[in-house]
Amino acid sequence: MIAELLWQPFVDYGFMRRAFAGCLALSAGAAPLGTILLLRRMSLVGDAMSHAILPGAALGYLLFGLSLPAMTIGGLAAGLIVAMLSGVVTRYTALREDASFAGLYLISLALGVLLISLRGSNVDLLHVLFGSVLALDDPTLYLTATIASLSMLGLALVYRPLLMECLDPGFLRLQGPMGSISHALFMLLLVLNLVGGFHSLGTLMAVALVVLPAASARFWLRGVGLQMALSTAIAMAGSLLGLLLSYHAGIAASAAITLSLGCLYLLSLCLGRLGSVRAQRQRPANDSVSEPMGVSE
Amino acid sequence: MMQSVSGLAAAAVHGIDFELSNLGLGYGGKLALRGVSGQFAAGSITAIVGPNGGGKSTLLKGLLGQLAPMQGSLRCRYPRAALGYLAQACEVERDFPISVEDFVSMGLWAQTGALGAVSDAQRAQISMALATVGLQGWQPRWIAELSGGQFQRMRFARLWVQNPPVILLDEPFTGVDEPSIDVLLQLLQQWHTRGRTVLAVLHDREMVEAFFPQALALAGTQLAWGASADVLPSLAARAGARRRA
Amino acid sequence: MSNFYLNRRALLGLALTSALPVGSVWAAGQPLPVVASFSILQDLTRQVGGDRVSVSALVGPDGDAHVFEPTPQQARQLQQAKVLVANGLDFEGWLPRLKKAAGFQGQEIVASQGIAVRSLPKGQGHDHGHDHGAGKEGHDHDHDHDHGHGHHHGPNDPHAWQDVKNAIVYVRNIAKGLAKADPANAAQYDKQATQYIARLTALDASLRQRFAALPAERRSVVSTHDAFGYFAQAYGLRFVPVRGLSTESEPSARDLAALVKQVREERIGAIFVENISDPRLLEQLARETGAAIGGRLYSDALSPDGGPASTYVDMVETNAATLLKALQAR
Repeated sequence: MIAELLWQPFVDYGFMRRAFAGCLALSAGAAPLGTILLLRRMSLVGDAMSHAILPGAALGYLLFGLSLPAMTIGGLAAGLIVAMLSGVVTRYTALREDASFAGLYLISLALGVLLISLRGSNVDLLHVLFGSVLALDDPTLYLTATIASLSMLGLALVYRPLLMECLDPGFLRLQGPMGSISHALFMLLLVLNLVGGFHSLGTLMAVALVVLPAASARFWLRGVGLQMALSTAIAMAGSLLGLLLSYHAGIAASAAITLSLGCLYLLSLCLGRLGSVRAQRQRPANDSVSEPMGVSE
Repeated sequence: MMQSVSGLAAAAVHGIDFELSNLGLGYGGKLALRGVSGQFAAGSITAIVGPNGGGKSTLLKGLLGQLAPMQGSLRCRYPRAALGYLAQACEVERDFPISVEDFVSMGLWAQTGALGAVSDAQRAQISMALATVGLQGWQPRWIAELSGGQFQRMRFARLWVQNPPVILLDEPFTGVDEPSIDVLLQLLQQWHTRGRTVLAVLHDREMVEAFFPQALALAGTQLAWGASADVLPSLAARAGARRRA
Repeated sequence: MSNFYLNRRALLGLALTSALPVGSVWAAGQPLPVVASFSILQDLTRQVGGDRVSVSALVGPDGDAHVFEPTPQQARQLQQAKVLVANGLDFEGWLPRLKKAAGFQGQEIVASQGIAVRSLPKGQGHDHGHDHGAGKEGHDHDHDHDHGHGHHHGPNDPHAWQDVKNAIVYVRNIAKGLAKADPANAAQYDKQATQYIARLTALDASLRQRFAALPAERRSVVSTHDAFGYFAQAYGLRFVPVRGLSTESEPSARDLAALVKQVREERIGAIFVENISDPRLLEQLARETGAAIGGRLYSDALSPDGGPASTYVDMVETNAATLLKALQAR
């Protein structure tokens, strides 16, 4: 009975196995990035970046058709250009990072829509451009796995300066350019994961896997490294749950996975160890040290 | 006239860490500080005093190389990364999930870089630094658990571990409790006895009189530079003159 | 002198009046501007109208009428048209709004008037609501091109043209409508319609004969879009529709698993890719079941000029040939 519920679907159907493999790979790459995003208060950047990538992927499609490398490179280029320009605008004008990024990603999105509409055919290209978790073919699977590996490697490289830059940017600035380099690399990894995620899992899921597990992990563990590990685990668990939900209840796959992740997030929000609704209520009344949420113990 | 700060070439000038010549510094084309000339000798301990907006923080930024001279010249014996600096406004995220030990270990950046592990010897250094500031045993605690004074002490511990030849402090005692100030002043003394050059922007005149033999008074321009005993009265006189005017 | 003057005047008057017959001939020679809602209707109308009509299509070849967004030029085209040929049966959900926006004053021909309507079996995938299953990016981008997709087809299957006998009804309706709008050429329309109907009748008979030759157990085929209901009904085939594998909605694992199971159990040998759906899901299906991708079927649009299905007759022939090839090969 349990077997039928839990792993029979994966035994019987190849597409379920591939879907899960793809989710595992993307979880490994994206979830740790999400932890950093949360720490740097850039959670919405993930979603905005997913829109910024559009014209690049559209251009790749226009020029080369449904080619994985073309759309990946195009999306990557678009995302990086937006990130770079946003940094430039922040440095040389009065706008702060959030506003400069917001302005640029909207322009990028509009360009993407324009490019798509130029093609003439009325086919909803977005569904063609961006994948579905149930339609993972070999090249896409390899791409996702490669991106995950690169991500983990890259993150290991810039882990320390990234945290330092978030924690005490003034200090790091004195030591050299390591701060901005690591920030740039981080954005690169983020864009890479998003682009890879689009191909394999669609835009909704790619961003969901970045943000939701990390937000959930925040309520259970405090250490950054531990949060990363936990968020990866939550991402994988959510993917499994979602796939099973899609299988047994007939819900669209990426929505099911995102909903599962969302439920795990809500559970953490209410019942987590640190800074959740339950934890806040259990705090002693005369707690004089005022701690921000998610940190007090 | 923009002149870049020369690095080790100035080492030829023996025992001088900073040489300033009619230095002018400013923001966005406007001068905030002008006409500063003098030297910071190696191993000296100098208080930088003056009214608010007088250019004290600006001078520190110039010494650190964050501001290029708009007038005059500034020569520094050491490369930028070798300087130790404690900023005034705390940009640090107080509730960042990092332990006290990890925070202090940031001081070892020059040695460990992004990937180097922290050796046992270095951990002992960190331990000693924490003991020096009175935070022994706090290594595994989260920085969010520290009070304001303790936090400042931890930052000092980081500087201690960094062990730079020159230490620039911008109002290091503002908002810090008395016991912590005592501890930190002792630390400054220890740096001084070990031959480190210390510059500190301060407001407390009594503290300057008691602990800082040298002083530099700034109020948009250089008022006086020399022994505290000489500099402080000129500052008081100026303040008195303004009050009367 | 005065004679010459008068003569010149007379000459001028003559010249001017002579322009009249030329003018009226010229005016009569202008083709009737017609707008058809999509490419198949455009072709049928051309067949009936010949050079008496100038037909443009709103949803062009290879276009998807379900996600169509009209451009301002097309609205202008519609405004200047005298006749509009639409399918009806809720196929063009966006049309009422477009007509209103364009201020269309001409005559509308509902091509499917009078056919025996087939209703969609319950649960089949025409609930293309506004919630694109692919979630957010579908949503956001639809807000960007906000022209009211409105692809609710309701309970009736609108793809009546797939049965050639219905196409004959279409042609009759079109001929009648054109004759009403342009009585001067009514005789010609009637003549061309009759000729074309003869062609269609022959086509229909040929199809019936060829499909009847198939053995009973070799008549099942998987297609992503349940656009072939009328075709299946007319020529004795079974199209296994797949809910959720069309452009609009995202599949659930259950749907896909059910399809895989069915294909495996019934040993359906061929899966057909449409010219308006995501090919990658179908490849996944083919990979999983070992079924062959049987080729391309044209359902809601003709192919561009030069393609194998650039006219209605070609489209039907091509579809039939593709199906027969796949079904016979097993």
